[in-house]
Amino acid sequence: MTLRRLLLTSTLGLSLSAGAFAADFPDRALTLVVPWPAGGAYDLAARLMAEHANDYLGAPLVVQNVTGAAGSTGVRQVAEADADGYTLGMMGTHAIAQSYMNPNATPLEALDPLVFIGPEPAALAVASDTGITDIAAYLQALQETPGSIINGNDSPGGFSYIAASMLESQFDVSLTKIPYQGYSPTVSALLSGEVMSALLPIPLLADQHAAGQLTLLGVAADARHPFAPEVPTFKEQGYDFVAEDFFMLYLPNGVSDERREALASMFYSLLEDDAFQAAASEVGLVIAPRPQQATATYLSQRADEVYTLLEAAHLVDASLAR
Amino acid sequence: MLIDSFFTSLLATLASPWGVTLAVLGTLLGIVLGALPGVSSTMALAILLPLSFGMTPELAILFLLCVFVASVYGGSISAILINIPGTPGAIVTQLDGHPLARQGRAKEALVYALVASSVGGVIGLVLLVLIAPLLASVAMQFRSPEFTAIAVFGLVLLAYASPGSTVRGLLVGAIGLLCGMVGFDALTDVSRFTFDSRSLQGGIELVPLCVGLFGLAEVLRHLHALRQRRPDVDMATLHSPAPKFGALAKRWASMLRGSFIGALVGAIPAAGSAIAVAIAYAQEMRFSRRPERFGQGAIEGVVAPEAANSSSIGGTLIPMMTLGVPGDAITAVLMGSLLIHGLRPGPLLFAENPGFVGSLYAGFLLALLLTLALGLVLMRWLPWILRIPNHMLLIGIALLCVVGAYAIRNNMADVYIMLFFGAVGYVLYLLSLPTAPLAFGLILGPLLEENLRRSLLLGRGSWDVFLHSPIAMGLFGLSLVAIVLPLLAPLWVRLGEDIKRARTP
Repeated sequence: MTLRRLLLTSTLGLSLSAGAFAADFPDRALTLVVPWPAGGAYDLAARLMAEHANDYLGAPLVVQNVTGAAGSTGVRQVAEADADGYTLGMMGTHAIAQSYMNPNATPLEALDPLVFIGPEPAALAVASDTGITDIAAYLQALQETPGSIINGNDSPGGFSYIAASMLESQFDVSLTKIPYQGYSPTVSALLSGEVMSALLPIPLLADQHAAGQLTLLGVAADARHPFAPEVPTFKEQGYDFVAEDFFMLYLPNGVSDERREALASMFYSLLEDDAFQAAASEVGLVIAPRPQQATATYLSQRADEVYTLLEAAHLVDASLAR
Repeated sequence: MLIDSFFTSLLATLASPWGVTLAVLGTLLGIVLGALPGVSSTMALAILLPLSFGMTPELAILFLLCVFVASVYGGSISAILINIPGTPGAIVTQLDGHPLARQGRAKEALVYALVASSVGGVIGLVLLVLIAPLLASVAMQFRSPEFTAIAVFGLVLLAYASPGSTVRGLLVGAIGLLCGMVGFDALTDVSRFTFDSRSLQGGIELVPLCVGLFGLAEVLRHLHALRQRRPDVDMATLHSPAPKFGALAKRWASMLRGSFIGALVGAIPAAGSAIAVAIAYAQEMRFSRRPERFGQGAIEGVVAPEAANSSSIGGTLIPMMTLGVPGDAITAVLMGSLLIHGLRPGPLLFAENPGFVGSLYAGFLLALLLTLALGLVLMRWLPWILRIPNHMLLIGIALLCVVGAYAIRNNMADVYIMLFFGAVGYVLYLLSLPTAPLAFGLILGPLLEENLRRSLLLGRGSWDVFLHSPIAMGLFGLSLVAIVLPLLAPLWVRLGEDIKRARTP
């Protein structure tokens, strides 16, 4: 804790000196491009940041929802925007997957990671009529009859598809993966009993679990989630399985070092703000900011991981193979 | 308990000047934004969403509900007056609403639309309050095979709902189905019909298509008429008085039918109001003794879809309130606003925060009443709108078409798509083909394809999944009856005549 504080103060100190050079930046509103529609978790995170932005940026932050093509339209808009630091974007696993699956999507090299906002851990949920109550029974059912569990997920490339593939490769089992257009239809399908299980972000499942409409078997993260504190993690139950989506800010390539560093430190301190964190935890967001270098490292690790999974599923486009 | 908190929060809102001001403001904004072609209810809510962050949760949801409810009525204003649906839910309203306006009965049509909206809205609310859990459990019976069946049923009804010959309607509907396939395939994310262009990868959105097809095409049609020096009907000089209460009350059956259809279809996640209005319009035509009047200015053709449109609001709130799942893009925005305020709609909301549920219902009722009141007040300024010179109105509409198409996803590609469909709409007009089926094809096509393929995936390639679903089989049966009956009816009549002739020597 003390080490973290120390690091934080030193980064802040550095950033203050960097900020002195860039005192005239930003002098107008910044645009934050969100690749998903209004109302979702990405949008909520962005709008909460916009609420608290003025104190840290000295300028308003305008959220713009640029949706379509599995999130790649929004990413492209940022990548092709003027590299003056006034346009930035928010991304997650979808941008990595699209960059390997869709030749028209923006390659990751064209994006400049800025600040890691936080992970969005998934939980494994099963429909209550399956009668499955723990991970062991779930895996046993799959080992006895491969494909016997029908799992609801995104179309290939979406996070919940990647998470389901990670579960398959980790435990060497195979699910029957049925695609849905987004998280809400997947939750509906789980509640109506059309599918038997799903790996989805916890805020979408916590209340339904508490109401007994579905059962959460385990949280695929290092720690339990505040929305469902009684649900143990996979690790606590003896399975080393982590599947998380993430939120991250990025810039188009070519923004001057001075402005990038100014933005990185401004957003880092915004994310550390107590009021922001309190508001975010009400919505169920996990805020765990990382500085710029760590963000870049995280992105490249995740990219390798996702690439391996996509390659195994033969989803990597031939022209984008490594 | 619920009733208590309902009335206390209703009274509390009415007693607070701030609450009333916000509600009136929201209603006015909703009517205006809804009436603007190119600004759908979803977009109106998304634009105003950040405003609600600073308010208390009760006021925020009141404000947004006022915007939502009022924008649904607002959409019918432009549908009736200028033949452009302000929101996709008003596509059907214009089929009979605009012919009424051209006959000089604009005010009459608007009053019918407004009253039907209010009645539908109240019925939707009552169903939401009384039998939300029941409706939710019915809606939960709808899985992929049932969705497939409802899409088929919708397509069959589409043939009825389109004015003119059925074959023409189906032809245009088929083009709409094809348009629905452009972009990423829903199940595999493979891009289709994109011609390797990035602008088509995002697919064809409903709003740019509607804005082009109905808005821009309408502007082009007027330009066409100007060139031919054909006098337009001067609506300002022809004013019918507003219909009397008795005349309104006589339409109770259409309103009730429309409302129940709207609430039920709205409660099914992902079905949405556009399908509800199509079904309401088609069944109204089936019930009518003189179906040939439809498309020429039949009052039922305005009343039933408007009632369905508004009662589907209550319907779409059902999955959100009972299951915590937003049924469509509009409720997703509403839910986002609640989440920001730390309220999670879903199974626990009733138990943990019944007071808030009560105030949500109260806000909904208030929104309906205000829309009715303000709608009636605004109608006094109706002649002003009608007196705007045509060329100015057309320029304004063309401008709104471009802005609206851009704003839906902040993407230039949608503007090009809008322009393209403007041209398509104009060509369809020159060929005297109906345009509405194109929009319905676009709505129903992806629903049908996605669910049909998913049903087959779930059935592991076997069509038995449909046989095991009574709801799906019922809907398929109804579709079959709807197709076969009109073919058999003439035979039946002829048989009857033959028998009569045989008897009379």
